[in-house]
Amino acid sequence: MQQAAPILADALTKSYGKSRGVVDLSFEVRPGEVFGYLGPNGAGKSTTIRTMLDFIRPTSGRILVFGMDPRAAGATVRTRVGYVPGELGLYERLTALEYLKDFAAFRGGVPSERIDGYAERLKLDLDVRIHELSHGNKRKVALIQGFMHQPDLLILDEPTQGLDPLGQQEFYAMIHEARARGSTVFLSSHVMPEVERVCDRVAILREGRLVTVDDIGDLKAKALRTIEFHFTDPVPADAFTALPSVVTATAQGDRVLLTVRGELDEVVKEAATHTVVDVTTHEPSLEAIFLDLYADGATT
Amino acid sequence: MSAAAAIGPPEHPGGFLAKSVRDQRRAAIGWAIGIAAVALLYASLFPSIKSSSASLQSYIDKLPDALKNVLGTNYASPAGYLRGEIFSSMGVILLLIFAIGAGARAIAGEEEDRSLDLLLSTPLRRSTVLRDKALAVAAVAVALAAVLLVILVVLGPAFQLHLGLAELGAACLMLALLACAFGAIALAVGASTGRRVWAIAVAAGIAVITYILNAVAPSVTGLEPLRPLSPFRWYLEPDPLLTGLHPANVAVLVGIAVVGYVAALVGFTRRDLAA
Repeated sequence: MQQAAPILADALTKSYGKSRGVVDLSFEVRPGEVFGYLGPNGAGKSTTIRTMLDFIRPTSGRILVFGMDPRAAGATVRTRVGYVPGELGLYERLTALEYLKDFAAFRGGVPSERIDGYAERLKLDLDVRIHELSHGNKRKVALIQGFMHQPDLLILDEPTQGLDPLGQQEFYAMIHEARARGSTVFLSSHVMPEVERVCDRVAILREGRLVTVDDIGDLKAKALRTIEFHFTDPVPADAFTALPSVVTATAQGDRVLLTVRGELDEVVKEAATHTVVDVTTHEPSLEAIFLDLYADGATT
Repeated sequence: MSAAAAIGPPEHPGGFLAKSVRDQRRAAIGWAIGIAAVALLYASLFPSIKSSSASLQSYIDKLPDALKNVLGTNYASPAGYLRGEIFSSMGVILLLIFAIGAGARAIAGEEEDRSLDLLLSTPLRRSTVLRDKALAVAAVAVALAAVLLVILVVLGPAFQLHLGLAELGAACLMLALLACAFGAIALAVGASTGRRVWAIAVAAGIAVITYILNAVAPSVTGLEPLRPLSPFRWYLEPDPLLTGLHPANVAVLVGIAVVGYVAALVGFTRRDLAA
């Protein structure tokens, strides 16, 4: 039997009064992948996540977690899920250890040395009361809470907010390990370098609608990149403008600056008809892709 | 910690119920001390009240009928005194403040603190969380009434407050049930709306209005038929301090608590949680 997708959104729509919510989302998260869910604040990332955990119910469409409806089979679904929320609400009067013990109990037990191990790695003192912890350290409590039972699916909503750089490194290592164990990770974020670093595929969300779902590599291949050729003699920009993959071309003396989308073959061949001194190209950052997609959306 | 030690159910028998009770413990101790102090204070005043009963009676006779209806008129007797000073006034106020506050906080408070999300991201069901929290509040209400009972039974006779255990026990049980009834109303509003303030406002509002209704109904023509709508009518009449427990009265207060709980369950399990 084929394993059910950890997450399957099928025309998922959740409407709120005016703007918030999500519209007609369809995507599938595959077993064992780290799936980035990218968008600015208010794009609907948390709304999507809240439907997975049955905090809110879809207006139409559906979302399935391991093939199950989070409403009908919520408790069963949630035994396999670890969740780290964007907005922390911890029991401030408890110590970190008391808090984690309680949550371990709700999940039917977690080896105590595993909690200790995570605390040591994240440099968190478990015996301090939560209200005395800094925001970053509270975040660590929430992370341990989400990871400690080694769930099949991690649902992480902006999990690195307020985390110090060392904590972030450790968090990336934890994601890596979870993936190596075969767990699936759903990571919502607006921090693009983070997504670029840990995710296999990303979905980009804009005002509640899905803009794209793609491999990070393919996304980059399809993205605008800039190329600068340095020739021995001035070359007119017109020579490049005619090529289908060239978006813009500007000549400055013996240099030509291009922005290109897609195949580079023709561009390189055209350049080779002149004498090339140097060529500089920039790998597009996810940030640039993101802004590019947003610009497209804004003009249509 | 030893490598074999597992953190889990063995340390937390009862799981979420144990946590719910633990969450109430701190507040419960404070309320218990307060109620014990109030009971002791009023009990210790009884001998001097009793000795000046003639002047007191003339004062009481001048009170408005509505007050006499509720507080009673026989302050020189132990039952009349306890009714007036504790079971229709201070005791009710304290127990209801506790129960309404705790009932409102149970779901709506956690939701406003954003801690409910993490709780419900575990395999715990909404219905389990509601049930165990409601049970914990009810348990504390019963415990507080029990503290009152113990003080009055053990120390009452030292202050000439001689009353039967059955009658005192009945009054304390009815007080606990009254608290459960109003706690359940607060729970229902809080669990259905996620707003703690609304829960407190509605439950406290109903308490004040029905308390007044019960007080004035006997003296105002036209209101008497409405008196059965007041939980206080079932709590106080006939006076459990004089006549003990009445199954019909118990049933009405338990019924209100059950209806409130069921409304909370329906409201809580069917709605979206606040973001």
